[in-house]
Amino acid sequence: MPSATPTTATPAATPASKPTSQALLQLDAVTKSYGDLDALRDISFAVQPGEWVSIMGPSGSGKTTLMNIIGCMDKPTSGSVLLSGQDISRESPRALTAIRRDHIGLVFQQFHLIAYLSALENVMVAQYYHSLVDEAEALQALERVGLAKRANHLPAQLSGGEQQRVCIARALINRPQLILADEPTGNLDEDNELKVMAILRELHDEGHTLIVVTHDPEVASAAQRTIILEHGHLKEIRNNQP
Amino acid sequence: MFIRMIIKVIARQRTKMLMIALTVALGSSLASAMLNVMLDVGDKVNRELKAYGANITVQPKGALLLSDLYGLDAAAAGVDAYLPASEAAKVKTIFWAYNVVDFTPLLSLQAETPSGREVAVTGAWFSHQQSLPTGEELQSGIDNLRSWWEIEGSWLVDGEDDGVMVGVTLAEELGLEVGDQITLSGLTGATTDDPADSGTADPAPAGTGTTDPASGTTDPAVSGDAGTAGTAATTTSGEATAVSAPTSRTLTVRAIITAGGDEDNQAFVTLACAQAISGKTGLATSIEVSALTTPDNDLARRAAQNPKSLSAKDYETWYCTAYASAICYQIEEAIPGVVAKPVRQVAASEGAILEKTQLLMLFITILSMVGAGLGISNLVSASVMERSAEIGLIKALGASDAAAAWLVLLSILLTGLAGGVLGYLAGLGFAQIIGLGVFGSQIAAAPLVIPLLAVLLVLVLLLGSLPALRSLLRLRPAEVLHGR
Ligand SMILES: Nc1ncnc2c1ncn2[C@@H]1O[C@H](COP(=O)(O)OP(=O)(O)OP(=O)(O)O)[C@@H](O)[C@H]1O
Ligand SMILES: [Mg+2]
Repeated sequence: MPSATPTTATPAATPASKPTSQALLQLDAVTKSYGDLDALRDISFAVQPGEWVSIMGPSGSGKTTLMNIIGCMDKPTSGSVLLSGQDISRESPRALTAIRRDHIGLVFQQFHLIAYLSALENVMVAQYYHSLVDEAEALQALERVGLAKRANHLPAQLSGGEQQRVCIARALINRPQLILADEPTGNLDEDNELKVMAILRELHDEGHTLIVVTHDPEVASAAQRTIILEHGHLKEIRNNQP
Repeated sequence: MFIRMIIKVIARQRTKMLMIALTVALGSSLASAMLNVMLDVGDKVNRELKAYGANITVQPKGALLLSDLYGLDAAAAGVDAYLPASEAAKVKTIFWAYNVVDFTPLLSLQAETPSGREVAVTGAWFSHQQSLPTGEELQSGIDNLRSWWEIEGSWLVDGEDDGVMVGVTLAEELGLEVGDQITLSGLTGATTDDPADSGTADPAPAGTGTTDPASGTTDPAVSGDAGTAGTAATTTSGEATAVSAPTSRTLTVRAIITAGGDEDNQAFVTLACAQAISGKTGLATSIEVSALTTPDNDLARRAAQNPKSLSAKDYETWYCTAYASAICYQIEEAIPGVVAKPVRQVAASEGAILEKTQLLMLFITILSMVGAGLGISNLVSASVMERSAEIGLIKALGASDAAAAWLVLLSILLTGLAGGVLGYLAGLGFAQIIGLGVFGSQIAAAPLVIPLLAVLLVLVLLLGSLPALRSLLRLRPAEVLHGR
């Protein structure tokens, strides 16, 4: 278990204290501005391989913005973002697409499944754009999230929790180094939330690196560390006691 | 997987896709109908015109034979190139005289302006009043045979021997306007330019059915060799013919002609005037006859080759039917020493109108495609809008811009091509309706239309999808996916 990261609380304004070479993700003074508004200002932190980090903060504090930058869907206005040592803040959109495809699994709050494709096909789409379609493997991924029997249902025929689990299956089908989940339990009832949390825990136990945005302190506490944002600032990094 | 997605996309957006297919079908049915008709219409118009009437050119035998067989200039070869103009009236004495609608002797010559510009001049009757050998009064002339000419000014009339009608090209070149004067001097010697060629590009409206005076193959007109032509003085009708040196005449421009062909580069004068300029009193180089004929059948074709080969009964049937060949035969009987030929290349005269018709159809084709393109453009934009979340998602999942665009494009292309096939088939139906309704015959489906239409469709679909594709490429996954 590579979760034994030093767990010092880092003040917001100071740069990441330990830019270790083996950090999977290393943010350095990241700022994202929309005109006058700084959605993120001077954010620095590192995430080690296999770590589970949650991000919390009030609405509008820049959580999604941060996830977009880490997920190669957006670029910071300034600062650098190193993913496995590669500075993704300077890559072309095309290269970012490739990095996202090869290294990152995305779980969305609104699931974003393709409505006219079955659960299985939704997983296969990710395979298709990554490499090769392998139906058996896709089915396995669905089985993992407990949806083998629902493989041929359309998203509309699935409950919210089930859809979220399809979304997770899709995120992990290509074995990404880093799984990013933006409020994966935000739209779920407690029962489904527990199921999703169980899957996340399992993924973590398998060594996946997880970054999970959440409003829910309970969800957040499942992670090893919680990064708390406020008005675009990094307010605090909290170590959670197991 | 990709195919599966495409199929499902189409199924999912079936209303929109159906609209796209229908739009394409509509456009391509029009286009395919027009293209098919366009490619087939040449034949149609030919047949149509043949049904209206043949045009017959009557020429001195010697001229025709030499030029036809040996490509020689008749006059230069010392062979009779002229016939007495008065013989023309005899075409009204034949068995099928009633079917002869109009006729005129023509005298083609080469003249020169004071500045040395050579001009092809044709002399003809204009509203020529005459008493036929039968005692009948008749008015005939080139004004009827060329009724489609656009005239600025007024037609010459019989006896207006100091007037000239000038083709528009020639008029522009010489800076002539109606009312201006021009001096034309007859030339002697063989000429390079064959004025009798004129008809080969005449735009004859379907109904007029006239053709060129001396089918372009011959070159009998313009020898100044007075000696040879002079022998034509043996006229059966007894009218005086004589050959003398060419002269000059100063003529007043009465009209500018727009004929749309070679005639735009020629001058037309009364027969008497042409005879005076060329010094060929009472002579003509050919006679042009417009006759109502019965479309040729097997019998007519056999007879045309050799009437003597027919059985007596067939011969009678043929002779008493208004076949073009029968009328020609009868003209040859009536006027000794001439060859009467139906003008074969009907296409020549209606080439221009055909071109215009085809241009019109091309326009309709293009317009229908533009219309389809606009419709498609809207529908594709709507389709892409509806799919923006999905497109953002696959981009987030790692699809390149090209892959995302391809996904959209292929579904549109497939739908569009399905519509195109539908439209093509419907267009074949339309073409038949047009063919039967307008030309009274079926339109053969031209294989060329299929690749043509396919290329057009793909082009239209691509262009129509372009705006939507551009917005698709600008689509940023982060923005679509996080509900902004
Ligand atoms: N594309 C954009 N253009 C302008 N402003 C933006 C844009 N994206 C985000 N913002 C602004 O940046 C700030 C942070 O937005 P962000 O979506 O990251 O918040 P969040 O923490 O995810 O909020 P929530 O919990 O409601 O999802 C907000 O004030 C938002 O209005
Ligand atoms: Mg958010």
